[in-house]
Amino acid sequence: MKHWKAGTAALAVTIPLALAGCSGAGGTDESPAASSSDASAGLSGTVTYWHAYSEDSQEVATLEDVIIPAFEKANPGVTVDAVTVPYDELHQKLITAAAGEQLPDLVRADIGWVPELANLGVLEPLSTSMSDFQDYAEQVYPGALATNLWKGTYYGLPLDTNTRVMMYNADALAKAGVEVPTTIDELVADAPTLKAAGSYAFADNGASGWNVLPWIWSYGGSITDDDVTVASGHINSDASVAAVQMLVDMYQAGYIPSIIVGDSGGLATSDGLVSGDYATILDGPWMFPIYQSQYPDFELNTAQMPAGDGGSISVVGGEDIVMTSTSQNKEAAMAFLRYLLSEDAQLAMAKTGQMPVLSSLTDQLTAINDYFGPFVEQLATAKPRPVTPAWNEINTILQDQIQSAMRGDVSVKDALDSVATQADALLAQYS
Amino acid sequence: MRRTPRDRLLLALRYLFLGACAVVMVYPFAYMVSTSLKSRTYVLSDPTRLWPDEPTLDNYRQVLTAEHFPRYALNSAMVSVASTVAIVLLSSMMAYAFSRLRFPGRRILFALIVVGLTIPTMMLIIPQFLLARDLHLLNSLPGLVPFYVGTALAFNTFLLSGFFEQIPRELDEAMMIDGAGAWRRYWNLAMPLAKPALGTVVIFSFLGTWDEYAWAVTVLNDTDKRTLPIAIALFQGQHSTSWGLVFAASIIALVPVIAIYLTFQRYFVAGLTTGAVKS
Amino acid sequence: MTVTSQTPSAAVRAAAEGWRRASSSRARRTALAGWLFVLPGFAVYGLVMLYPAVQTVLLSLQDWTIVPGQESPWVGLANYAEALQDPVFLRSLVNAAAYTAFTVPLQVVIGLFLAVLLDGYLPGRVLFRVLFYLPVVSSWVVVSLLFRYIFASDDSLANSVVVNLLHLSGSNVAWFQHRWTAMLAIALLGTWKGIGWSMLIFLAALTAVPVELKEAAALDGAGAVRRFRYVSLPAIRSALSVVFILLFIGGFNVFISVQLMTGGGPSNATQVPLTYMYQQAFDFLDFSYGSAVSFILTGTVLALSALQYWWTRRREAL
Repeated sequence: MKHWKAGTAALAVTIPLALAGCSGAGGTDESPAASSSDASAGLSGTVTYWHAYSEDSQEVATLEDVIIPAFEKANPGVTVDAVTVPYDELHQKLITAAAGEQLPDLVRADIGWVPELANLGVLEPLSTSMSDFQDYAEQVYPGALATNLWKGTYYGLPLDTNTRVMMYNADALAKAGVEVPTTIDELVADAPTLKAAGSYAFADNGASGWNVLPWIWSYGGSITDDDVTVASGHINSDASVAAVQMLVDMYQAGYIPSIIVGDSGGLATSDGLVSGDYATILDGPWMFPIYQSQYPDFELNTAQMPAGDGGSISVVGGEDIVMTSTSQNKEAAMAFLRYLLSEDAQLAMAKTGQMPVLSSLTDQLTAINDYFGPFVEQLATAKPRPVTPAWNEINTILQDQIQSAMRGDVSVKDALDSVATQADALLAQYS
Repeated sequence: MRRTPRDRLLLALRYLFLGACAVVMVYPFAYMVSTSLKSRTYVLSDPTRLWPDEPTLDNYRQVLTAEHFPRYALNSAMVSVASTVAIVLLSSMMAYAFSRLRFPGRRILFALIVVGLTIPTMMLIIPQFLLARDLHLLNSLPGLVPFYVGTALAFNTFLLSGFFEQIPRELDEAMMIDGAGAWRRYWNLAMPLAKPALGTVVIFSFLGTWDEYAWAVTVLNDTDKRTLPIAIALFQGQHSTSWGLVFAASIIALVPVIAIYLTFQRYFVAGLTTGAVKS
Repeated sequence: MTVTSQTPSAAVRAAAEGWRRASSSRARRTALAGWLFVLPGFAVYGLVMLYPAVQTVLLSLQDWTIVPGQESPWVGLANYAEALQDPVFLRSLVNAAAYTAFTVPLQVVIGLFLAVLLDGYLPGRVLFRVLFYLPVVSSWVVVSLLFRYIFASDDSLANSVVVNLLHLSGSNVAWFQHRWTAMLAIALLGTWKGIGWSMLIFLAALTAVPVELKEAAALDGAGAVRRFRYVSLPAIRSALSVVFILLFIGGFNVFISVQLMTGGGPSNATQVPLTYMYQQAFDFLDFSYGSAVSFILTGTVLALSALQYWWTRRREAL
């Protein structure tokens, strides 16, 4: 926790260095920042950039007071016009603007929106129109990069990333006399003991892909084939069925609370973990500042996603940076996009809690925020949700069917067969 | 008036009942106030504990000193006042015509107003956006006004028609015989008599435009053009929200709404029409 | 236009009749005035509401691709046909109807009752008027969250009432897991938040009742119920039907509370037409289907309102 504050204080120290790196004649330097300043000679105009960074944290301040000034100093002719949009409304605003051809030059898009926007035809295909795309593609985490791939073309680059790891209440585990589970089998075996000690073994607030995919993947299951064209034989494979069956059995035995089936009046995962009602949950790095502020006395412990036959595999979250095909100033926009992926910009944002996507920064991350450690480790194997415009709809069907199975309305096999049939039809629309 | 013991008992019962209702009605607001007095609340706590442990006005201080906050309040105030004035004028004229003047097409136009009541405006957002683009009203504060007025007219025209219906026709006809034209009958007779109803329209219109969010966030981009609801929404983060801050901002934003309400509910004084009816 | 000769001001009426007959140019002038009064408002309304609504109707007849320059094939009424066979949509209509049937009478009755209590002389009535109006202006996020606490699945307020007080259930109810218990919680929230709204309109309407009339009735020894029935009610009849129709339309258009409390779940059990429309249009980007859904809703509500209007008129005629 102390590192977090130290990191914020250290921000002031790194800015001058960042500027020095930009303006220096670093022709031999291979960092993206250097190449952007080389290519940017003579650029001019305004670059509009829509994002949903938080104004309540340091994110917007870092973007507007550190990153953009540094870029504008290195590119004196270019002005960046950054528009902060409330996260919940950004998607609607993007779709409406797309219909009215009023999109900005650059968008920080949720990873799930990229295939959807690409399918609408409003995104610039970066892998063909960005000359040094391959250089960047090689520098970022592959799981995060994969969220930009639609029909063989990359329409964006990852900007920040995250994943879910296991968070546990050490007191609740100790009270039941069980060790921190490292495998799913251990978690399942400990569940009755934990129940006897007054804790649910695991809690989650829904059964959507974000919630259940870590269990399915860690069991060795899958959702679709690698090309995201068919779901049959994947979401209803033996391994996928076994993973969901495990969750259903745990729920029905009373080891998982009813918030997983949509009981929105139940105890939230964050509160339940603190009270010890929930022994373990899965959640992302943003929980650390929340816990630090809300429950300063609670010691938040993390471990890797419990492993199964498929390993310990979690789900990738985060945002991508995309350029619109209607952009009137692609050269300057490209220069700013490159700068956002420079080590300087990525490190500046890391201090606000945004996990960088450059694998070269991995070693520095724990020095900035020590809680990044387990997330970096988990990201090495984490996978993105299926990259398809149909995902929202498939996700809804998946959650409905799994919740039906948990309530006992339908068998797990039938539920997942139904998901497979419906998902196949949806995927066929986009193939 | 003289008070009998029975009157006193009835009055006491009335207060008791009203008090009980008030507790139920006010509770969520009290919870908002309580949360706004807590600093750094990222998780909303159990609402059965109303009084915060260490009450502080930090959130209020932070909101009021936030960059541009007064600017956003002024933006909202200008848009709401302009919209409310236009809504009151246009909807009362339409309502007067529909309930008092005979003209061809009256029934069809009124039916189209009723249709407008039932259309979910959310579904119109893309066509409205294209219209605003073609009229060069995107990213503009004055550009919000025609859209706020247009979407509020059906409701208020319908509401006012009901009240205008209630004004005795004899009064109109008497004025007509005196040679008063339609405008004079509307402005000098119907409007003063409909004061309570117009008060209602002002209260609802101001609240509606002051709170409007979905359209504003869709068409406005520039930081200095934000309205208050956008500024308040931006206090929320993608993964975490400082609820104390959000509620403090919301409560500050309620002050003008309550002020408008207090001002215009004064129009709800019984007996305004009395003299007129007798004349 | 019905003119009866029994009105107290028969002389005035007769004069007006004669005057009307005397001048048909006046009728023309009245018609012109009517148009001029309606024109400015209707122009704005037509441009901002009706024109986009017509475009949305056209959109519902296509397979709309959102971005200009891409072909959007015409599909006729296919989206409407699909919606009418969509079990989730049909269920959402039933949910909205149930919500309306529950919330509208309660809001009308309680709102009217409070308005009557706060209409007469009562020290501190302005304070009560403000307090009862607070739910109307309170944030939806806050009130939804509070109602989630009230209806939480463990030892919540709702459960202690149902289990300990009324003995309706032997064990705690998981309100948001079942369709009708979740809809009940949503409907109670809607009622609670809407009472102040209808109270306000009724307060405005009650001012039409002359004080002298109320006092005279009181002096005659008429009880509160009789006074209300014969003095207040006739004066607010028109406001009553306006409030009823507006609440009725509003009930079918319930949205934010459902979105925030259950999101239409679990498994679409508490879906209402607008949450379903929002999901189809803005989550799945099927604007054509979303538009069709919203116009079926509009048609249903209009038909039911017309039926209601016809029914009340018929009753008045009897």
